[in-house]
Amino acid sequence: MAFVNLQNVTYKYPLTKAPVLQNVNLQVDEGEFVSIVGPNGAGKSTLCYALAGFVPHFFKGEISGSIEVDGKESSKSTLDEWVLNVGLAFQNPFNQISGAKYTVFEEIAFGLENIGVPREEMKSRVEDAMALTGIRDLADRSPYSLSGGQQQRVALTSILVMRPKLLVLDEPTSQMDPIGTREVFGTIRKMAEEGMTVVLVEHKMEWIAKFADRVIALKDGSVLLEGKPNEVLTSDLLVENGFGISRYTSTAREAKKQGIWKKESLPVTLDEAAEGFTK
Amino acid sequence: MNIEIKDLRFTYPTGLEAVSGISLTLEAGEQVAIVGQNGAGKTTLVRHFNGLLQPTSGSVKIGDWDTKKTSVAKLASRVGYVFQNPDEQLFSRDVLTEVTFGPRNLGYSKEKTDGLVERALALTELSDKTETNPYDLSPTWRKMVALASIIAMDTPIVIFDEPTTGQDAVNVARIANVIAELQKEGKTVITITHDIDFCAENFERVVALSKGQVLLDGPAREILGQEEILAQTYVEPPQLTRLGKRLRLKETVRNQEEFLNAIARRA
Amino acid sequence: MHERLSFHIKRDSFIHNLNPLTKLVLTLTLILIAFTFPWYWTPHLLVLVAIIPLSLLGKVFREFSVTALRLILPAAGFLFLMQAFFQPVGSDVIFKFYFLDVTQESLMFAFRNAMRVFVMVSAFTLFLVTTHPSELMSDLTRRGLPGQFSYVIISTLQILPQIIAKSQTIIAAQRSRGLDTESSFFKRAGSLIPLVGPLVFGSLMEVEERAIAIEARGFTSKQTKTSLHEIPDPSFDQMLRWVLVALIILSIALNLWLS
Repeated sequence: MAFVNLQNVTYKYPLTKAPVLQNVNLQVDEGEFVSIVGPNGAGKSTLCYALAGFVPHFFKGEISGSIEVDGKESSKSTLDEWVLNVGLAFQNPFNQISGAKYTVFEEIAFGLENIGVPREEMKSRVEDAMALTGIRDLADRSPYSLSGGQQQRVALTSILVMRPKLLVLDEPTSQMDPIGTREVFGTIRKMAEEGMTVVLVEHKMEWIAKFADRVIALKDGSVLLEGKPNEVLTSDLLVENGFGISRYTSTAREAKKQGIWKKESLPVTLDEAAEGFTK
Repeated sequence: MNIEIKDLRFTYPTGLEAVSGISLTLEAGEQVAIVGQNGAGKTTLVRHFNGLLQPTSGSVKIGDWDTKKTSVAKLASRVGYVFQNPDEQLFSRDVLTEVTFGPRNLGYSKEKTDGLVERALALTELSDKTETNPYDLSPTWRKMVALASIIAMDTPIVIFDEPTTGQDAVNVARIANVIAELQKEGKTVITITHDIDFCAENFERVVALSKGQVLLDGPAREILGQEEILAQTYVEPPQLTRLGKRLRLKETVRNQEEFLNAIARRA
Repeated sequence: MHERLSFHIKRDSFIHNLNPLTKLVLTLTLILIAFTFPWYWTPHLLVLVAIIPLSLLGKVFREFSVTALRLILPAAGFLFLMQAFFQPVGSDVIFKFYFLDVTQESLMFAFRNAMRVFVMVSAFTLFLVTTHPSELMSDLTRRGLPGQFSYVIISTLQILPQIIAKSQTIIAAQRSRGLDTESSFFKRAGSLIPLVGPLVFGSLMEVEERAIAIEARGFTSKQTKTSLHEIPDPSFDQMLRWVLVALIILSIALNLWLS
């Protein structure tokens, strides 16, 4: 039995005409790192909300099918119970700052206060989480004084500190520079290796190819493709459906037509491209 | 219409010096990308071009107008500025009204305004959405409305602040197309961007800022290959430039065409 | 940039180290005594024997006196003038100003009221300057104030400066589109919609996202909340609060008895 199990999930927001998710089937194993790609409007964020319990508990609307995480069924649970198992961080870091706290340290502790973690344990968990994401030096700063990239790290840390079994991340590195992105992907990979299940929406293909176990391509609310990162991210179907792809892939595809790229498979990362063009 | 920046310095009331002595000339019709890490002074610099910020010292001239002596409302007829977040400027109940707002403020005739609005809507592929409320559109399309509402002002200089953030591949292509069209019309396009691949594919000149100063300035081909210097402002060269370096190609390549040509020559 | 809206000045002083509730009770005591104790010179004396010594004890005398001289005193002065001129009491006219009579009674009356307001605002200022808002709120939450209530207070304090910053960006964006915000009042009134519209729409979206973000961090959890900071409440504080409450009762009782 998969750790995350979505069966025929169809969902419509109260104010939209058409369903945003249509017959989504999705299984993720415990400790697996799955990445979701897709053009704007494909339903990526809605899928994240569904995994994290906000669809339908927060947004209401019409839902059918079943959402199970760790053997529990979302429709039979309440949101405040659900979030203990499933953590969510999303794109806009500014709106994720609670506003209730004056320092980054307090901000990260906010969730632990809410769920009643004793003070000493709280402090050590906050310390550990900050060390993990490399923001120890921000501990005493006001969350509002940080750059977008730093705020995104704080948002991620604020969720990691809750130690969810399933971590759902919706473009958590959109405002980070290349170095920051690399570090954060490394952290997420490490969490997955320690047994946390990760579902990550991202459009930085190179990083997905390097770090994710599996990729799911979403289009118009349905799963278009799924499989190993390299298979999915180099598929012709992605280009035809308006997905963003790595420049290495598109260039190698063109080179293949011209007979310059000799390998059968196409590259996603710099290393793969360099290797293929060297031969 | 040239932009002349002389010894520009700007200090925020908090005491933070965001621009520390920049001199630049941006020629009429140039396509310039401004890159650099957060806090390098990119937005602070371009907000001087339409007078939103006034130099602490030094000067900025737009053609023959000194921004110190010209109101923002007047400068708006020469410099259009698309803000990063469309939600910070959209307020009308339909797309047409929104796009008409700018040219109407500039006092153009009804005929001229209608023509400009129509052209801007066509360019941004919004012609079939004129009656829609901008807030019923997806964020992607709201971005296009924001673009259209500035393009319709028909200014000789257009500034884009992070136009591709949060946009998918299809919309990035649309935005690139808009920039190419503006170039054909002889307009100066200045773009702040983090998206270095987008920068490589659409801009001829690159200015890299770091700590309020110009770190590098020149043709994109020369600038984007300078990995070590760019790293000082947390910018990585474009994907294909890096690939070209890895393969030890003789020249710096920026885009697919240049890369494939260079590979073909090598073979 | 505005980082936050807080008057708190971080110092290590006797006042700073008092329990937040003690400080709140002390503030209320000063205000209530100034308004109820039935002796004319009470508020004046309170400034000398309480407000000024407390600001010294709290190591904020310099900051406090600047605020008092620049803001509180002018406001109290204005109130004094208003009441001196417009309070129709007494008959002992000291001087006339056009059709307005100023009597000795109205002067005395105005002087006391101005001093009462001065004590009230000063006491609150001292309270805000020496108390960190989040300490106050976690202390009150621990004592049974609903968590949602203290969240609303603190987040409003924090988010207001962000809204101000955002409205400045919106103004900049619309000015860039040729909106003339610097000319006549008539034109400016017409330019309100382009400024307010984005602020309202934007805020609605932000509120939804922020609600999701705090919910994801267990905000509505049925668990009893814990607190990162331990806020000490020694027996000295508890005793002091009882003494202060007794003073309040005494002052009010005297006031009722003598009236």
